[in-house]
Amino acid sequence: MENPDISNNTMVLVENLDVVFGNKHIVHDVSFSVEEGEIIGMFGISGAGKTTIIRVLTCQIEKKNWNGNVLVTGLSPSKRGNHSKILSNIGYVPQLELLNLYFELDPIVNVEIFTSTYGMDKKKAIITAEKLFNILDIPKDTWKKRVKRMSGGEKKRLSMAIGLIHHPKVLFLDEPTTGVDASKRYDILSYLKKLNQQLNTTMFIITHDLEAALICDKSAILREGKLLEFDTPQNLINSLPSRGLVARISIENLNQEIIKTIQKYPSIEKVLRVGNETIEVLMEDFEDNLPKLMKFLFENELKVYSMSRDVANFRRYFQIRIQEEEEKENRKNRSELMNEGDSP
Amino acid sequence: MLPDPIDCVVVSYDSNTFIEENNFTESNRDDYNLKYVEAVNSSKLLNLVQFFNATEEIYAMETARSYMVSKRIKIIIAIPVDFSELIIWGYPGLIDCITDSSDIQKIQVNINAVYDSIKIFVSQNNLTPQFELNGFEEFTIPENYSSGYNNTIVLVLSFMIIGVGMVSTILIIVQEKPIARLLLTPVKRMEILLAKYITYISILIVQNISLVMTALSFGLYLVGTVFDLFLALFILGFAGLAIGIFISTLSKTKTQANQLFFATFLVLILLSGIFIPIEAMPIYLQAIAYVLPLSHGSPLITGIITKGKSVFGFDFFSLLGVSVVLVVLSFILFQRRKYEV
Ligand SMILES: Nc1ncnc2c1ncn2[C@@H]1O[C@H](COP(=O)(O)OP(=O)(O)OP(=O)(O)O)[C@@H](O)[C@H]1O
Ligand SMILES: [Mg+2]
Repeated sequence: MENPDISNNTMVLVENLDVVFGNKHIVHDVSFSVEEGEIIGMFGISGAGKTTIIRVLTCQIEKKNWNGNVLVTGLSPSKRGNHSKILSNIGYVPQLELLNLYFELDPIVNVEIFTSTYGMDKKKAIITAEKLFNILDIPKDTWKKRVKRMSGGEKKRLSMAIGLIHHPKVLFLDEPTTGVDASKRYDILSYLKKLNQQLNTTMFIITHDLEAALICDKSAILREGKLLEFDTPQNLINSLPSRGLVARISIENLNQEIIKTIQKYPSIEKVLRVGNETIEVLMEDFEDNLPKLMKFLFENELKVYSMSRDVANFRRYFQIRIQEEEEKENRKNRSELMNEGDSP
Repeated sequence: MLPDPIDCVVVSYDSNTFIEENNFTESNRDDYNLKYVEAVNSSKLLNLVQFFNATEEIYAMETARSYMVSKRIKIIIAIPVDFSELIIWGYPGLIDCITDSSDIQKIQVNINAVYDSIKIFVSQNNLTPQFELNGFEEFTIPENYSSGYNNTIVLVLSFMIIGVGMVSTILIIVQEKPIARLLLTPVKRMEILLAKYITYISILIVQNISLVMTALSFGLYLVGTVFDLFLALFILGFAGLAIGIFISTLSKTKTQANQLFFATFLVLILLSGIFIPIEAMPIYLQAIAYVLPLSHGSPLITGIITKGKSVFGFDFFSLLGVSVVLVVLSFILFQRRKYEV
């Protein structure tokens, strides 16, 4: 069933998705869409429900466990009959290579195994594979050696090549950068961007590596199964007070007391403790208020080591947004507790 | 407690025309032949399955032999042409006895049982206890072949083929992690398992062809056809595969599969009838033993190589039945197996 409201370019459409396992409500009323050629990042701390959402999209969760309107490349995973069509339209790069690659075989044989499942022509598949291996800089001398002998980064890239071997419309990636060391993380991200640009592949990345936002056209933030935000990272940062300008201030003997004092300053929106003696401050009318804030600090006899100004990055935005949500929840719980106390 | 009576058949040639050497008179007396049958009937060591009068049924001996091939009986007792005449004229009586000697240990037991019937016959009819028993052995291995080799190979083949079938397959499903990822392609679960079966059946065929050829080149005495032997080994191997793949789809981890394998193999061996005769087991164990494949290995192969029996019989179809049930179960288990990437 095609949905008339969506354009042909919508690769993934999720409307009011709920996932329930027994009495555990894992995903609450999530809606978003992914357009052709976009890279979408879905961010959330462990247990937020990221993998669960990707499992719905990749036909791994039975219909009885979920509800809502979901279309993947125009087809709904709610119908069993659609599964094999959806699965040939999408690619998947799982978190663990162990689940993805035959370690005792070489990369070329691995490619042959997976292409045979799509009923592809073997020769054409090998040509595609070699092209992908070249884009991903998989060294030629490893092509005919056992996968076991490849480095972690090479395995990850081979896994990505296999995910793309059948020219899928959408590539799903589960934690592509976790378990990869810091310097390699940026490599992986830049390879993904490269593939996205050269092959125009739509990508849906789930991760708790906030650095991945660097390559994402849109970011989704998920917390306890609820979608808090879905927009471009820049728009999200711009929605902060003063479009995300922050003052980073180091103060001698910083403690909770001092933070409370600073929070009392009228135009302060948010104070984040980001280091042992360092805080970051967000304010309305940043330019006007910054000198006033500094004066306020001196008046309160706080010894400021240094002060610098910066623009919040996505990591900071994520931290602020999650904190905000937690505070909201705490307030709600507290008022509920008080209401209970009031009632006889 | 007496052992189970031994199944036998009596074939009588007694009333055939007998020509007396001295005066060339013809005689076709059969005074004693039914009396002997009565004695067989009253012996507690023998169980008369059928009595044939060879004068009337010309294929009596052929029928009796086919009973022996199909293991319905262990002994053919033949009453010779001049049986009644000899007794009447006061000569020692004569009985021919053909025993199934494919089971060497039982030959003497069989002969003893026939002696028991003769003893009863003599005492019931007040005859002189002078009697001759001509023993013939059926299905023995000719002297230019090694009976030791033949007997060993029967045991080794059935153990080896079922064992190898199991060992090579118990890990194929539990160990193969990327199946989880394969399932995120348009491939169907059925197809994955079917591919495994096809692969291992092909290996089994190649393995069996080389085994049969090796066994023959080392001087195996084979009465039946090579095809029957091959098919027997194939069905045994297939049962092994089916158990192996069943264990693999049942187990959650490699360790579990290995433990299940050892436990299963031990039970298979204990109830194979090789160490403990199946007839000596309690009835519920007998039922289990007949379901398990190894109990069919030895009878099936012996039947073909020493008796020239056809492969298609109780043992073959039991093996086929058990294997098919296991294959079906393995597909059901694999369909329900949890895979998550
Ligand atoms: N089949 C299931 N039955 C019951 N609960 C489940 C099932 N699958 C997942 N959950 C629960 O759903 C919650 C979300 O799990 P999910 O794997 O989606 O989290 P995640 O965001 O991917 O976390 P991580 O970053 O650690 O991978 C967890 O609390 C998990 O225990
Ligand atoms: Mg996850």
